[in-house]
Amino acid sequence: MAELILKDVCKIYYKNKKPVEAVKSLNLKCRDGEFVALLGPSGCGKSTTLRMIAGLEDITSGDIYIGDRRINDLHPKDRNIGLAFENYALYPPLTVYDNIGFNLRAKKIPEKQIKEEIHKIAELLDITDLLDMKPAALSGGQKQRVNIARALIRRPEVLLLDEPLSHLDGKVRQKMRTEIKHLHTEINCTTIIVTHDQLEAMALADRIAIINQGVLQQFGTPLEVFNNPVNEFVAGFIGEPPMNIFNVVAIMENGILHFKTENSLIKFVVPEKYIRFVKEGEKYRFGIRPTDITVCREDDSYTVKTKVSVFENLGEECRIHIRLDNDNILSVVSSEIFHFKYGDEIKLKFNPERIHIFDCKTGQRIEKALQMT
Amino acid sequence: MANVRVEGIKKSFKKETVLSDISFEVKDKEFFVIFGPAGAGKTTLLNIIAGIYVPDEGHVYLNNKCIDHVEPEDRNVAMVFEDYALYPHLTVFDNIASPLRSPRYKQPEEVVKREVTRVAEILKIDWLLDRNPSELSNGQRQRVGLGRALIRSPEVFLMDEPITHLDAKLRHQMRAELKDMQRNLDTTTIYVTHDYLEALSLADRIAVINKGKIEQIGTPEEIYYKPANEFVASAFGEPEINIFNAEVVKENTELKLSIFGRKKIEIPKNIQKLVAEKEISIVRVGIRPKDIKYGFIQKNENCIIGKVYSFEPLGAKAILTVQVHNQLVQLLVPSDSEIQLNQEIFIEIDMEKTIFFDSVGNNLLASYSNVERKGVAWQN
Amino acid sequence: MKSNKVVSLLKDLGLLLYAMFALFPLVWLVIISFKHDREMFNTTFIFSPTLDNYRVLFSSGEFIGYFVDNLIVSVGAIILSIVVGVPAAYALARFDFKGKESIAFTFLSFRFAPEILVVLPIFLIYQKIGLYDTYFGLIWIFQVVSLPLMIWILRGYFEDISVEMEHAARLDGYSWWQVFIKMIIPLIKPGLVASSLLSFIFVWNNFTFSLLLAGQKVTTTTVAMLKYVSSDTVHYGQMAAAVLISSLPIIILALAIQKHLVRGLSMGAVKG
Repeated sequence: MAELILKDVCKIYYKNKKPVEAVKSLNLKCRDGEFVALLGPSGCGKSTTLRMIAGLEDITSGDIYIGDRRINDLHPKDRNIGLAFENYALYPPLTVYDNIGFNLRAKKIPEKQIKEEIHKIAELLDITDLLDMKPAALSGGQKQRVNIARALIRRPEVLLLDEPLSHLDGKVRQKMRTEIKHLHTEINCTTIIVTHDQLEAMALADRIAIINQGVLQQFGTPLEVFNNPVNEFVAGFIGEPPMNIFNVVAIMENGILHFKTENSLIKFVVPEKYIRFVKEGEKYRFGIRPTDITVCREDDSYTVKTKVSVFENLGEECRIHIRLDNDNILSVVSSEIFHFKYGDEIKLKFNPERIHIFDCKTGQRIEKALQMT
Repeated sequence: MANVRVEGIKKSFKKETVLSDISFEVKDKEFFVIFGPAGAGKTTLLNIIAGIYVPDEGHVYLNNKCIDHVEPEDRNVAMVFEDYALYPHLTVFDNIASPLRSPRYKQPEEVVKREVTRVAEILKIDWLLDRNPSELSNGQRQRVGLGRALIRSPEVFLMDEPITHLDAKLRHQMRAELKDMQRNLDTTTIYVTHDYLEALSLADRIAVINKGKIEQIGTPEEIYYKPANEFVASAFGEPEINIFNAEVVKENTELKLSIFGRKKIEIPKNIQKLVAEKEISIVRVGIRPKDIKYGFIQKNENCIIGKVYSFEPLGAKAILTVQVHNQLVQLLVPSDSEIQLNQEIFIEIDMEKTIFFDSVGNNLLASYSNVERKGVAWQN
Repeated sequence: MKSNKVVSLLKDLGLLLYAMFALFPLVWLVIISFKHDREMFNTTFIFSPTLDNYRVLFSSGEFIGYFVDNLIVSVGAIILSIVVGVPAAYALARFDFKGKESIAFTFLSFRFAPEILVVLPIFLIYQKIGLYDTYFGLIWIFQVVSLPLMIWILRGYFEDISVEMEHAARLDGYSWWQVFIKMIIPLIKPGLVASSLLSFIFVWNNFTFSLLLAGQKVTTTTVAMLKYVSSDTVHYGQMAAAVLISSLPIIILALAIQKHLVRGLSMGAVKG
């Protein structure tokens, strides 16, 4: 059990003799026993980072530490890391038992002890009944359990999970997610998961590192990245349905600053906390989550009167869509089930506390963008 | 005007039965969704309606005329395919134009040009017309596939999982776009999907099929609130509905339920009556994750003690999994709830909102549909 | 770094040596085609070049006849195998029928048996039914050589084309035949070109069948080579010239569509 520290880790590889920076000066500090997710779109460098930690890929510059051990130059097998591969990578001719024990046998540990260890881990992952089976006979979820068991049998200091749920579908996926989350509370081992699915990262991780184009965007708890995204990328990437983000202009009306969309469909007073950052006449990116807009009856300064374009009732919740212009749709999610149809007039209240304003050019959160200049 | 009727459709491939005895009728201008898990036979059914497969038994009627022996090109149906099925050697323009250039639906070239431009504008792909399908993203390919279907006015639209390959965010957006488009099209549509959100959102009526058999046909409201059996109940909703065994016990004159072997929980009067009439001793109780409350103190007799098994925040909401008596119960709670793992917790099931199934066939006994109209109303 | 350069130098040297080894017969062929019979055995690289061999070749007109014969049977065989092979490959790719794989394998196995093994029975049969020494007889037997290759390459191409695309075209209002001509043929074109060319080469160069199943009325260039062997001497110069001339069409064809050949054999229908 130990901390995992990445210090200025860079990865440059060559494609057609041109250098490509896959990971740019990445700094991360994962606490002992913490569950950290590396999250980003495909090709963002998250898998490369994982492979560098595992030792499957050279580190161009920077250092990786487990506790106070620098592991840059260690052979993968000496790093004391357990890796569960994305495509399971089980040895097809071996039984589940032998698959899990393969590693211990290679270390020449007495057979009796191996047996004990395997049974202990099998019980933990609830695969005791499967020990005599061959991988081909297992379902996707079972294979993933065996895969994780094999990674855990080495009693690693750090457990790495590479897209553990991506090959499972629907319901199995959701069950496995719950299982992995519960497992982590039992083994309490520093765990890094790589995923492109933000729901998975939110559900599992204590903290999420969001990476885009090789650069760390934000590192925080699920609620932090959800409620306080540092830039437009994070805001759009986290959350499903995605945050509504559209262009607004700041205008002065009756001596008060207002935000207004180009077609004036949405117009209201700039919230208190943004007043000192907003300049009249400037354009901004305005973001609000579908769950932070509510249907209401009475008017106030954050109410917008509009017409329903599309209404969806999804059982657990209903979604109301309003066409802002040709390209943008404003979505509202309500757990209270309403009954609307196309063209119905409704009033929507924007929660002023939950409005996010981003810089038009840099995409930075406006408070941050100003601090930086 | 177009209604579609299938009667007693059976189809097997190499001795494996894919569809057995499928019958339903799709009314004129109806948006009809065929919903089922992978391998349920949905696509086969759609292909039979399109005329691509010939059923082993049964008939397909279009406007009450049997079209069993009509070739696909003469059925005047348009289809959107799951993997787009674009013509790789043609540009986007030529792909969309293809139906209007075919011998069957031929139009003069200037009409073709005008129509392609019109459809491309609706779908916002007018700037891609000169590209090849290999240069498009999945979302764009799917729009081209839609465009090829929308360019003529067929009697029936058939859509085979048209938005399955898009990521969750694009799906959310495309679903709204589809629904918006549907209002303007006003054409009979049969839509195949395995995503329950698409089914609930788009459908006028849904046919749930599983293993080649129809489990239930009904409006989204009926499917969600009065599922015919446990399969339908757990197919709609995520996390899926919690279902567990409950014993009927008699206390004084009242009938109560014993869940997890210990608690005596009061049940609504109408269900007591039903249970008494049918002399049932064990029922299966289904409760949706959002209809369970939780707390850290025992507020009343109906509270059941458990232990927090896992807590997964998903944005505004979170899934709370509670272990009760070796069973896992899932709840939908706000994600800012302060919850520690392995901590003791009390859950309370809202018995007004439970759905009862019989313990043998797992079919619907009673649901809370009698009360749901107060708070809930469905579209249409 | 230094050792890397040495290694790559050695590699180049090795390749050069191999290239010389591989190209030598060809070079030698060109050389002797310009030699006079007199100098054939007493000179190696230094001699007085002459075009006599080529002159003899074209003066009689006989050789041109052989050339045309060869062209007729090769092109005939290719056309026949396209007509038979394309539908056969389509059927093998698309339809599920009993013994499908066995049939596919049988086609391929035509290439297994040595020609010399089957040629004797075929010789007898041909004589009986009057196909011996006819154009059609040779086309018929050559088609057996080219068909398996055609079927195996094209089957892969057809399998790469999604069935849904065909279905989509049907629903767009095209009949099956129109779909086949308008949508499918363009997609298998690279494979069709590549496999036709390869088959053409095999057929064009065939010797055993041409020798034993024809020779008087129908004579291919490969068999014609033997005519330069007379009872007392072998006209190596003329033979070399004839070989060069008869391989010319193939060399030109191959160079012209080299790119298509490589692409056609290494890529599927829908990629790229």
